[in-house]
Amino acid sequence: MASATDRKASRVPRSGRRPERGTRARYARIFISPATGAILLLTIFPLVFSLGLTFLNVNLFRRIPIRFVGFENWTRLFNDSAMAVTMFNTMLFVVVGVAIQYVLGFGLALLLNQGFRGQRGLRVLFLTPMMVAPIAVGFIIGRMMFNEGFGPVNDLLTSVGLPSVAWISSPWMARLTIIIVDTWQWTPLIMLLILAGLQNIPDEPIEAARVDGATPWQIFRYITFPMLLPVSITAILIRALEAFKIIDIVRVVTGGGPGRATEPVTVYVFDLGSKQGDLSYAAAAAYALLILAIAVSLAFLFLTRRLNARYT
Amino acid sequence: MRITLKVLNRLALVLAVLAVAFPLYWIVITSFKTQLAISGQPKYIPWVDFEPVLDAWRWVLLSEARSDVIRAFLNSFIASAGSAAIATGVGAMAGYGLTRFKYRWGPWKNDDIAFWFISQRMLPPVAVVLAFLLMFRELNLLDTRLGLIVAYAGFAIPFAVWIMRDAFSQIPAELEESAAVDGATHAQSFIRIALPLAGPGLVASFLFTFIFAWNEYLFALMLTFQKATTVPLLLASRITSFGTQWDQLSALTLVNMIPAVALGILLERFLVRSRTQGALK
Repeated sequence: MASATDRKASRVPRSGRRPERGTRARYARIFISPATGAILLLTIFPLVFSLGLTFLNVNLFRRIPIRFVGFENWTRLFNDSAMAVTMFNTMLFVVVGVAIQYVLGFGLALLLNQGFRGQRGLRVLFLTPMMVAPIAVGFIIGRMMFNEGFGPVNDLLTSVGLPSVAWISSPWMARLTIIIVDTWQWTPLIMLLILAGLQNIPDEPIEAARVDGATPWQIFRYITFPMLLPVSITAILIRALEAFKIIDIVRVVTGGGPGRATEPVTVYVFDLGSKQGDLSYAAAAAYALLILAIAVSLAFLFLTRRLNARYT
Repeated sequence: MRITLKVLNRLALVLAVLAVAFPLYWIVITSFKTQLAISGQPKYIPWVDFEPVLDAWRWVLLSEARSDVIRAFLNSFIASAGSAAIATGVGAMAGYGLTRFKYRWGPWKNDDIAFWFISQRMLPPVAVVLAFLLMFRELNLLDTRLGLIVAYAGFAIPFAVWIMRDAFSQIPAELEESAAVDGATHAQSFIRIALPLAGPGLVASFLFTFIFAWNEYLFALMLTFQKATTVPLLLASRITSFGTQWDQLSALTLVNMIPAVALGILLERFLVRSRTQGALK
């Protein structure tokens, strides 16, 4: 039994490399176990389970004897033209969509960081889109605003003499529409993160530069932007990882059409599983998406590390 | 030069406000239009372009469709509140553990473990939803609220751990140390001292995980079909079916957005507060 002073000392985080012992070790385990157990059971186990599925021939609807098929599902991915198209669409939504969202979000953060009356109300307004269900956003923007029949966007275009646009029925315009809807919803997230970063920048270097006669552009180019580079990298990465998961918006706005023009991998996987019941091949396609997301994230981190090193 | 910059600045701001606010305005007025006023040439201003009616709101709140609407909202609410409560509780325990104890999992220390938790968010849900379908079929959890609570809690826990770890790391350990001197156990100082102090973190964690579940679509689509269907499913099924009732959908969407807007307001407060805290340092 430890004395009171010993116990007090034991509460101070120790600098040594030793893990906890005795009662403390038991409490340490008790505190972390529920979360760890839940993740192992609800994320890691399904993930391993899905990996197992990819080597079998499990079908939801057809009662066929389950057998080991080796890499058959994996090799099938490479000859699947639908897989190629949906991979392309996912990459398009990630690269083009997130790039647009980053530029707009950064600009909005700069605009909102100036301090003016009504600023707080505006911030609430700008934060709202990211809280709304993607299904609802798809409906509001994709189905209402960009409606080809009675949407106000085409009405405004024609009223200034421009031709009305086939926002949903032409393949490339439909892709653009998906990106616009996604951008409406998620630019606020980038804005929020950049705004937080802006507020952590010390005033001194900017003041000093201003005293030395730097133009606003120079201050931005040589001080603000480099200092926000780490936040920018985090913001882009978080957003990109979410963009790989896009599914709700597409299902509501275009349903993946026309043809497969706006179908991302997620929708393809979902249809493989729920319409054709081909769980094993769907699992392989889902794994391909996971591998793509990890590969792109690692490549992005590698490239930005060099950029970051050049600036600092 | 200076004045042009300022004008451009304000112009950009006005454009941004319009881009966000106009669609919201549009859906509000659509919920007060008749089907006739919706189709055809767009009508922009109530009482000028069209005569507002309460048909859609009467349908949502008073018609025989009400039972469907109420059931979907009840399911959504139970699944969201249940999973948010579980995730926040479990997340608070892990967050407390990660800031007050030292862990070693092989080569991993506390920071690595925290990163392991948050990295679970990388996983596309579609990669595990099929496994969930097979598991839930065996466990008889398909089309139940309990099943949704379990699935949503699993996805929300990494986020809750992250928020709560952040919250506890800002609470000085001295109070708990002096409680320990007075003979309090770890469990007592966690429940009586640390948790009350972490109130704002608990609220933030609960709200975020609540909204996540409230807006979730894919798992609900795959794991429920009749009894336990949620609001996003109700919306999606009405949107994609033929002969869309735009006014009714607009009203439903607006009701669905209430918690979201509430969270937006709270989050802005949070942002302002953390700014003043930074100024004190």
